Amino acid sequence: LTTDISLLSIVLLLPLIGVFILLFIPSQNHLCIKKIALNSCVTTFFISLLLLIQFDNSASGFQFTEKLSFFKHTDYTYNENASYTVNFIIGLDGISLFFIILTCFLIPVCILVSWTNVYNYTKEYCICFLMLETLINTVFSVLDLMLFYIFFESVLIPMFIIIGMFGARERKIRAAYQFFLYTLFGSVLMLLAILLIYFQTGTTDIEILYLTLFTEKRQILLFIAFFASFAVKVPMVPVHIWLPEAHVEAPTAGSVILAGILLKLGTYGFLRFSIPLFPYACVYFSPFIYTISIIAIIYSSLTTLRQVDLKKIIAYSSVAHMNFVTIGLFSLNIQGIQGSILLMLSHGLVSPALFLCVGVLYDRHKTRLLRYYSGCAYTMPLFAIMFLFFSMANISLPGTSSFAGEFLVLLGCFQNNTFVAVMATTGTVLGAAYALWLCNRVIYGLPKPYYLRNFSDLSRKEFFMLLPFVFCILFIGFFPEPILDSIYTSTLNHSF
Amino acid sequence: TFLFENDFKAILPELFLVIAVILLLVYGVIYSTSSHNKYCLLLNNISMLSLLGLIFTFSLSKENFITHASIFYNTLVLDDFTYFLKQLVICSVFFCILISLNYMKKQSFNNFEYIILLLLSVLSMLFLISSADFISMYLAIELQSLCFYVLAASKRSSEFSTEAGLKYFLLGAFSSGILLFGISIIYGFTGITNFNELAKLFANSVNDVCEIHNYFFFKGDMNYAGSCLQACELGMIFILVGFLFKLTAVPFHMWAPDVYEGAPTSVTAFFSITPKISFLAILIKVFNNSLYDFMVPMQKILIFSSIASMILACFAAMSQNKIKRLLAFSSIGHVGYLLIGVCSGTTEGLQAVFIYLVIYIIMTINIFAIILSTLKRDENAVIVNIPQVKYISDLTMLAKTNPILALTFTLTMFSIAGIPPLAGFYSKAYLFFAAMSSTMYLVAIIGVLTSVISCFYYIRLIKIMFFEKTRYMLSFNTVKKENAIILGITFFFIVFFMLFPTPLYLVSHKFAVAISC
Repeated sequence: LTTDISLLSIVLLLPLIGVFILLFIPSQNHLCIKKIALNSCVTTFFISLLLLIQFDNSASGFQFTEKLSFFKHTDYTYNENASYTVNFIIGLDGISLFFIILTCFLIPVCILVSWTNVYNYTKEYCICFLMLETLINTVFSVLDLMLFYIFFESVLIPMFIIIGMFGARERKIRAAYQFFLYTLFGSVLMLLAILLIYFQTGTTDIEILYLTLFTEKRQILLFIAFFASFAVKVPMVPVHIWLPEAHVEAPTAGSVILAGILLKLGTYGFLRFSIPLFPYACVYFSPFIYTISIIAIIYSSLTTLRQVDLKKIIAYSSVAHMNFVTIGLFSLNIQGIQGSILLMLSHGLVSPALFLCVGVLYDRHKTRLLRYYSGCAYTMPLFAIMFLFFSMANISLPGTSSFAGEFLVLLGCFQNNTFVAVMATTGTVLGAAYALWLCNRVIYGLPKPYYLRNFSDLSRKEFFMLLPFVFCILFIGFFPEPILDSIYTSTLNHSF
Repeated sequence: TFLFENDFKAILPELFLVIAVILLLVYGVIYSTSSHNKYCLLLNNISMLSLLGLIFTFSLSKENFITHASIFYNTLVLDDFTYFLKQLVICSVFFCILISLNYMKKQSFNNFEYIILLLLSVLSMLFLISSADFISMYLAIELQSLCFYVLAASKRSSEFSTEAGLKYFLLGAFSSGILLFGISIIYGFTGITNFNELAKLFANSVNDVCEIHNYFFFKGDMNYAGSCLQACELGMIFILVGFLFKLTAVPFHMWAPDVYEGAPTSVTAFFSITPKISFLAILIKVFNNSLYDFMVPMQKILIFSSIASMILACFAAMSQNKIKRLLAFSSIGHVGYLLIGVCSGTTEGLQAVFIYLVIYIIMTINIFAIILSTLKRDENAVIVNIPQVKYISDLTMLAKTNPILALTFTLTMFSIAGIPPLAGFYSKAYLFFAAMSSTMYLVAIIGVLTSVISCFYYIRLIKIMFFEKTRYMLSFNTVKKENAIILGITFFFIVFFMLFPTPLYLVSHKFAVAISC
C-alpha cells in the first residue's frame, strides 16, 4: 500500500475536482462554466502526458500502481490482510497508457466543440463530460475485474444523458434507449461470469487471476459471457445496430467520445481479460471471431456505400475498423496485437476527427443528409483539405497512423491464417470505395447554393481543434516506434 | 415472578411502544373531542410525538443490554438477527412518517388514528420479527394485518381507498386462513408449535423419510411415520403460500397493484417499505432456520415464485401509466430478487437479502419522498395545487422545472435498475453472487435478464423527466424541509455507497451468521 499519491490518481481525480467546482457555479454563467471545465481537462491532459514521460518501457509489470482497500465481504478477524476481498487497485501498463492519454486528449475537444452550439444545460453538459473522463480513465487503469465491470457500466449513465439531452432529433430517445439496453444486456452476462470467477478463486484482482488456470470447459463458458459484453461494445456484427443509431443521434461531442473511446472499451476488454485469462478458449473461439469479424468488415463496408446520413457512414466505417482490430487481437501473436492496439489508437484519432468535420458541416447547415452537400471545396477550402486528409487516414493511406496499424494486423493475421488475411484486405478496398465516394459527393462537384446559403469556412477554433489530430495521425504514421516500444514489453508479458 | 424477571427487560422497547401508543391514543381522543379546545386537529402533534416515541424505541432497542435471549417460554427470541431487523423496521417507519407529514396536511387527512395504527403495526412487526413460535407468529401477523386493513381503507372519502381496503382485507384474511391451516396441520401431526423444537424434530428428516419408507414398505406395514412427514410437508407448503401471499410474491400477487394504487400514497409508501422486512424476517426464520431440513422441497416453490415474480413484474410494469401501480409491480419484482437470496439457503444468501433489503428500503424512501411532494399546475395564471404525482406523465419536464429533484430521481432510478456504481447495483450483484455460489445458475441468469428488461421502465421515467415535451407543465412546489433532508440523506447514500460499503457488509454478515447457525 503506497502512501503518496501517484501521478495516475491525480489524472483520475482532477476532472472530479473540476466537477466539484462546477457544482458551485450558477448555471446561467455559461462562459465561466465552460472555461472551468476546459481548464480542468486540459490540465488533466498535460498531466497525462507526464505519465508518458515517466513511463518505463522496459518494466514488465504495472506502473503507477496504487491500492485502496475497498470492500469487505466477510469478517475474517484472524487474518487482517485477507479480509478485503475487492480492492481498488489502479495501475498502468503499455496497453492502457495510450488509451488514457487518448481519453484525456479527446475530452477537451468535446468541451471545445460545443463552445458555441450548446446553449441549454451547459453545466450538466460539462459535468457529464468530466465525469465521463474520470470513469473511462478508471476503466482503463483499474486492475480488478469487479471494479472494471462497475466502471465499464457506469459510463452508461453520462452517455445516456448526453445522447438523450443534447442529441439533435426526436429519434435520439430511441437511440439512447438502444445504446443503454444493448450495452447493459451484454454486460450483465459478464457480471455473472465475474461472480463465477470470484466464487471460484475468491478474488477479482487480475494480477492474481492471470496466474489462475480455469478448466477448459469453464474457460469456454466464461469466454462466452465476456464475449457477450465486449462484442456489443466492439461492436461485432449481430449486435452492432445500436452504434449507427447512437452516433447519428448523439451530439458531435458525444460521437467523438463514442467513436474515440467507448468502442475501444470492448477491444480493450478482450485484450486485457479474455486473452490472458482464457487462453484455451481464445484459441478455441478464434475461428468464430475471425468469421464474424470478416462478415462485419465486408457487410458494414457495403452498408456504408448506401447510407445517406454523413454520420451513419462514418459510424459504419467504425464498425469495419473495430472488427479489423478484433482480427488482429485474435491472431494471438505479437504483431497482430501490437497492430490492433495501434489501430485502436489511430481509429481513436481518425474517427473523432471525421465526426468533428461532420459536426462542422452540421453547425453551418443543420443537416447531415448527403444529398444537400456538394462542392465544399469551392466554398470551404480549408475544411475540404481537412476532410480529405481524414478520409484518407480512414482508408489507411500509407503515411497515416491507420496504415501502420492495419499493416501490422494483416501481418499478424497472415502468419496465422492466410485466408482471413486475404478476406480482411478486401475490407481495405471496400473502405477506399466508400471513403472516396463520400469525399466525391461532399467536397467535389459544384456547390448547391439552392440548399446551402452559409458558406463560411473553418473558424479559427475549429481549425486549431483539428490540427492536433492531423499532427498525431501523421506522427504515428511516419514514426510509430515510440508507441510500439511502450506497448511491446507489456504486450509480450501480458498475452503469452 | 422469577420467570418474568428478565423477560420484561428484554422486551423493553416493545413495552415502551405499547405505553406510548396508549398514551397517544388517550391524548388524541380526549383533545380532539374537547369543545374547550375547539375540536383541534391533532395529526401534526401526534405524528411529532410518535416520531419522538420511535426515536426512544430505537434507542431503547439499541441500548438494551439483553440482546441474546429466549423469553416468554421460548415464544420470543432475541438475537443479532432480530436486533438488526427491529432497528431497520423502526428506522423505516420513522422515515415513512416523516416523509408523509406534508402529504397528510395537504390531503387534509386529519384522522390521527392513522398514526396510532402505524405505531401499532410497528409493534406487531417487532413481535413478529422476534417470535419463535407459530402461535406468537400468527398473532403478530394478525395484529399487523388488521392495522394494515384499516390503514388501506383509511381515506373514507375516496372510493379507491375503500375498495383497496376491502380487497386487502378479503385476500389478507384468506391468506391468513391458509397460513393458519398450515400451522394446524403441523401442530396436528407433531404436537409442537415451537420453532426450535420443530427444528430438532425434523433434523435430517428428509433423508430419513426414504429409509422409513423402505423399512415399513418391506414389512408390509402402513408407513405411518413417512405419511406424517408428508403431511407436515403439506402444512409447510400452506405456510409458505401464506407468506408468499403476504409478501406479494407472484402467483399470489394480484391484490398488490390495486391496494397500492388505491391506498393513500403515504400508506402505499408504508406498505411498500416496512411489511417486506417483517415478513421476510419470519420467512427466513421459518424456512432457513427451523425447517431448514425441508429446504430442498421448499426451495423449488421459492425458486418458482422468485422467477415468476421477476418475470411478471418486469413485463407488467412496462405498460403502467400510473406511478403507484408501476411502483407496486416494481416492488413485486424486488420481492422476486429477495426470494433468490432466501432460497439459496446459504449464509451469503441471507447476507444478500439483508443488504438488498436495506438498500431497497433506502431507495424506496427516496422515491416516495419525491412522490409525496405536492405539485402545482399553472392553468391560465391560476396556480392549482395537485396533492401528489399520479400519472407517470406528471413528471414531464421535471428536468426543466426542478432540475435537482430530477437529478435525484434519475440517479435513484438508475440505482433501483441496478446500474453500477450506484448502491442498487451492489445489492443485486451480491444477490447474484449468492445464487451462483449455491449453483442456482438459471435463477441468476433470469434475474440478470429481467433486471435488464426492468431497466426499460425505470429509464422510461427518466426519459419522461428529461427528454419529453408536454402540453401543460407541472412543477413541484418547494419540497418541504423534512422531505428535502431525507432526500439528501438517501441520495448521498445511493451515490456514495460505493466508496464505503464495508459496514453494511459486515453487519449483514453478522446477521446472516446469527440465523444460519
